[in-house]
Amino acid sequence: MELLIASSSVADAGIGCWDLESGAEQLRYKSCASPPHGLACVGQRFLASSQLREQPSASSGSILYWSWSKPQVEVKSLPAEPIKPIAANSHGTYIAGGGQSGDIYMWEVASGRLLKKWHAHYRAVTCLVFSQDGSFLISGSEDGCVRIWSLLTVFEECESQRASHLYLHSFTGHTLRITDIVIGYGGVSATIVSASEDRTCKVWSLLKGRLLRNIVFPSVIDAIALDPAEHVFYAGSRDGSIYIAALNAESPSTSSYGMHIIGSLSDHSKAVTCLAYSTGDLLISGSEDGMVRVWDPITHNIVRMFRLAKGPVNNILVVRRPLYLNLGSFSNPHTSSRRHGSQLPPPLDKYVTSADEDVDNKGVIRLPSLYNAPRDASYISHRTIDNHLKELQQQGSSAATEMEVERLKHECNRTLQMVQQWKKMYENLHEFCVNELLDGDQVDGSKRNAV
Amino acid sequence: MARSKAASKKQQKQQQKRGVDFKKIKRKLGRKLPPPKNATNTEVKSKAIVLPEQSVASEKAGLAVSKKGLTLKELLQQTSHHNSKVRRDALMGLKDLFQKYPAELRSHRYAVIEKLRERIGDDDKVVRETLYQLLKTVVFPGCKEDNQGPFVSLMVAYIFNAMTHLAVDVRLMAFKFFDLVVQYYPPSFSLYADKVLQNYEDILRKNQFYLEDKAKLRSALAGLVRCLSLLPCNKRKVDSSEENMAGQKILHAFELDMPAESSGFSSITKKLKDLVPVLVNCFQDFFPSVHHMPLLDAQSFDCMHSILQSIDLVVGFFGYGIHQGKPASQLSYEGPDEAIWDHTISSLLLKKLFGVFPLNPTNHLSEKVDDRFFILNIVITEIFLRCSEWICPPGFLLEKFLQYIENALLGSVRPAVTHGPVKQFGRNIYFFCCLLFQSLCCKWQVIGSLVFFSNCGANHNNGILQAFTKIFEGCNPQSSLKLACLSAIEEMLIPGDDMVYPDASDPLFEYQITWIRALPQLLILLGDKHPSSSQVVLHLLLRLGQCANSSSPFSREYENMQYSLDKFYSSCVDRGDVYYGPFIRLSWDSQELAICGLYYFSNLGPFLLKSIAFCCLCSELEHLVLFRIIEVLHSAFSAGHIQIADYISFFMTLLSRFKVLPENIYPDVESDAKISNRGTFKLLTNTVCSCLSRIGDDSLVFQILEQVIFDQLLLKPPLDNACALLRVLVVLDCKPTRLSEQGIITLSKYLSGCLNVGSCEPSCIPEDDEENSLPTHQQTCCYYMLPCFFLFDRSPKLLKLVLNLMGSLITESSSSPSSHSYTQYGNDNSNQINAVVSALLLMHKDTKVRKIISSFKEEVVHILQIIHSLQVKFLVTGNPENGLAVITYTYDLSGRSQVTSFSLSG
Repeated sequence: MELLIASSSVADAGIGCWDLESGAEQLRYKSCASPPHGLACVGQRFLASSQLREQPSASSGSILYWSWSKPQVEVKSLPAEPIKPIAANSHGTYIAGGGQSGDIYMWEVASGRLLKKWHAHYRAVTCLVFSQDGSFLISGSEDGCVRIWSLLTVFEECESQRASHLYLHSFTGHTLRITDIVIGYGGVSATIVSASEDRTCKVWSLLKGRLLRNIVFPSVIDAIALDPAEHVFYAGSRDGSIYIAALNAESPSTSSYGMHIIGSLSDHSKAVTCLAYSTGDLLISGSEDGMVRVWDPITHNIVRMFRLAKGPVNNILVVRRPLYLNLGSFSNPHTSSRRHGSQLPPPLDKYVTSADEDVDNKGVIRLPSLYNAPRDASYISHRTIDNHLKELQQQGSSAATEMEVERLKHECNRTLQMVQQWKKMYENLHEFCVNELLDGDQVDGSKRNAV
Repeated sequence: MARSKAASKKQQKQQQKRGVDFKKIKRKLGRKLPPPKNATNTEVKSKAIVLPEQSVASEKAGLAVSKKGLTLKELLQQTSHHNSKVRRDALMGLKDLFQKYPAELRSHRYAVIEKLRERIGDDDKVVRETLYQLLKTVVFPGCKEDNQGPFVSLMVAYIFNAMTHLAVDVRLMAFKFFDLVVQYYPPSFSLYADKVLQNYEDILRKNQFYLEDKAKLRSALAGLVRCLSLLPCNKRKVDSSEENMAGQKILHAFELDMPAESSGFSSITKKLKDLVPVLVNCFQDFFPSVHHMPLLDAQSFDCMHSILQSIDLVVGFFGYGIHQGKPASQLSYEGPDEAIWDHTISSLLLKKLFGVFPLNPTNHLSEKVDDRFFILNIVITEIFLRCSEWICPPGFLLEKFLQYIENALLGSVRPAVTHGPVKQFGRNIYFFCCLLFQSLCCKWQVIGSLVFFSNCGANHNNGILQAFTKIFEGCNPQSSLKLACLSAIEEMLIPGDDMVYPDASDPLFEYQITWIRALPQLLILLGDKHPSSSQVVLHLLLRLGQCANSSSPFSREYENMQYSLDKFYSSCVDRGDVYYGPFIRLSWDSQELAICGLYYFSNLGPFLLKSIAFCCLCSELEHLVLFRIIEVLHSAFSAGHIQIADYISFFMTLLSRFKVLPENIYPDVESDAKISNRGTFKLLTNTVCSCLSRIGDDSLVFQILEQVIFDQLLLKPPLDNACALLRVLVVLDCKPTRLSEQGIITLSKYLSGCLNVGSCEPSCIPEDDEENSLPTHQQTCCYYMLPCFFLFDRSPKLLKLVLNLMGSLITESSSSPSSHSYTQYGNDNSNQINAVVSALLLMHKDTKVRKIISSFKEEVVHILQIIHSLQVKFLVTGNPENGLAVITYTYDLSGRSQVTSFSLSG
């Protein structure tokens, strides 16, 4: 039940969407020209993608939203500067974007508010990744620097002022542009793998903040994917093959490709531009020739091929199919769109608004439960929860209990009165009946007597 | 009877006592008979003699023995002998044994150390010294790779015991032993820091002992310095050591040393606090000797130096704690305590250490003494600079120090910079500048002191920077001083963590620009003789490039650097004469750094590209580097750092100028095949093609390239280069062709000429279809013909034109004999015919081209007719010799051409 989503840098290709199991193509979302790492699935609710500028002179890029059911762009936001890489945390609470000037922007999805913007790198940010638990943000830059940001530090004012730097670690081992970063499982002790145009991939430890391994490849690596067990990682290179590099064992140095490289997957196509790993043990690669290939990593064979565009495939995502999204909504998008209405959050803000200015603007996010339709996760204003709070407080206070006691007493009295009334009525009725009966008997008796 | 009985009893007893074998019958009581003359004395006397060596000699055959033939067990036993000489000999024997049989040490190391540790507190000086040598030269190096934790813990208890020994000698020696342990197993310091520091404190307090024995004290203090240098005081150092650890080993290995190294330092703050006053007092005790003795002898100098270094390290550690965001003392103690400590320490330092600064020799006797005083002063300055972060020095003191630094940098304090410990000097300069820069540019939390510092020192800062710049420019490019300056510059150029660039109005900025401008010159001056220095410069340039984005004030400087960097790659001296810079001969690492630096020019101009292109064309350049350059340039191009015109012309230059060696396609000799770089050129062609096709819109690129390539083709480049250019055209072309009308005509002219006039090596091609030819030849031939076939496939018009031109060429050459002498003419003509026919045959062999060519039957038939007529003409008019040659040719040709025409018609 996984969907394969791929986008290209060519605008007319759009975002392709396939069922990974059956291979059936789903809806194709239109007019998307995404840069590498510029596509994100926000909490399985909708797709977001930053856009390449049409003309280099255009001052600003844009970030677009698509809902699952409609091929057209639904929401368009215009950030202050061109954003290339974007990332969303797994719940879809935040979207982070990396700017050309080296700034990182952090938006709250539900309200669209720009929570924070900070200067992260000397040069343009090239990729952004959230850690699995969403507590760290890892950014790579054109200057070859990889930095790890703890969101706790970034958002806590006093913490950030106290430390001399905002980042947790800064890795400056690469000499050229960072092309891809992946992070493994394991929370705070996760392993990070970064790839760069200097032909190396470096393995870092998040906990110790130091380099664990440096692997030199025969060609530039543009994409990496981590094996779920973290035994190996796959590195898609510009010479068209996908190298398999060891993460755990000490591999024999006699490998024909180089140290730590165990093997490769290749079909002699053009450069590999992006990689993804699905939970169904499939490796998915996007290539410069516009094809998406699905590999069986064990047998090294291609299982499936999808055609996306003429231009290079830039991004591949593998997402769990949202349960409410049945095939019907794909086949007739018009009815479903009417049914769903506009359900996407508002566009992202351009500038940081100070927190004091408008308190009401704060959004409240309810964690999206799996079985709920996305409209439940819609935007609820700050007031709602204020009301809730007020109610709760009132109910909980001693005054409220007293009032309640009063009310109950009152009710008790009233009920007692009612009981009295009913009793009286009953008595009356009984009397009446008895009288009637006695009267009847008397009449009968008198009648008989008369007879 | 009774008597006889008794006698007999006695006899019996005696008999019983005596052995049965030597029964002696007493015949007569009283006098003894003299023994007969020939009697043999049967008494056996025996004495126990212990001869251990001999007794076990036979067992020793397989055992490891020392020179004296003693086994390990015996030697170990002898180490606790009461005679000191035996003990010493035993230790010598052990050393001897282990050197001969290292395996012995490895298998018995715990037993050995358990025995040896008893000797740490030995009363005899020689024994201790021998033990030290044994441990230092044999035991520790031998056990290095093993798990040393338990090994060391076995020893340390005895060392501490010896540290509290009554004899001062033993105590001082114990420090030396501990130093040795720390040397081989650094974590041991943090494990036992508490005790060690306590012991140091005790021994330094009792100063009456050591003033006599300075040599011992010196070694003990050296040990202290080593221990303290393990304190985390410099973050950079910690980082670099960790970088090295990124080894080839298992990724998630269990690391034994980690907990020991990271913990343990927090608890010793108090001990260190206690140590500082003791050290300062100790330093003061040396004062009289300084002032009274005319010469500062080496031993007391070393002691003083070590003391100062220790203070420096401790202060550095405190500073490090503050940098971390939490003062070191807070790790174990609360705030108020820290305040008191700060106060006491700082006042102590101010009074006793900085107060006496600068130390001056009473009379200038020798340069050596001057040097010593200079070094001491430098260390005091270092301490001062470290302290100034968190204590507020009074103004006059600051003035004094800044003045001293300035003078030191200018060399006025020390007249001769050239000799003496230059390295030390360089290191200190580096520290000066690091600390100064940090104080000048970074925002400390202790703002108060900073403001004070900069206010007071403003007039000196300039002077110091000026002096530094002077030194940097003046020193020898190869010297270690230059290296030190470079690392200081890196510190001052690369903005720190807060990424704040210096303001253009800052006086520092001016100097920074000067330094940046000096770097390319330095790189060229260094040449290829000093790879490590070049690497440092290149790394600095790369770092500079990485942070020189458009908002940085250095970006312009970095951009301008490309005009001075060209000489590093290559430069054109005269027309055609290229002088190659040091780049080509540098190591792979440095080349990689240099290439990566290219990426960060936001506008890589044609000037530098040209010089890189010359470099790429150099045959000495490794082809891997060549491809790396192309890769990085492609990245730079896709990041928008290179103009498309420059980018394309770079590739065109590569393809058209690359010298393919050897010129002959089919190497006759094996050695030729070895040096051939044809394979490299083929790879290069492929790489260039893929880069060009990755630019984006193929048709646009094609339009740009078309004219350029034709211009190049008309210059008649060698066949390989022409083929490469055609390949580029083919890669960017599509079906139907994108060639313009004019282009087709030009190309047809070129191709017909190329096919005809021997560029396609007609001398070789005809042999292709013969049985004995190698299949590789055919492949080579295909490689050259393939682009033409593609072009023909895409544009039939081109093929038609080419065929026409071929026909007319034959007629032309046959009808214009005036240009050649008669004999040449025949050969020439037949060669040409030969070429045409073989080209036709090749086309015919390719199934796809055959299909196309079948639609141009007329043209082919026309050519054949011409050839046929020529055949006839030759038969009629040829002179006998040539005629004969032509006849055989034509015969051959007609046979072939018939086949051709036959299959064409069929």
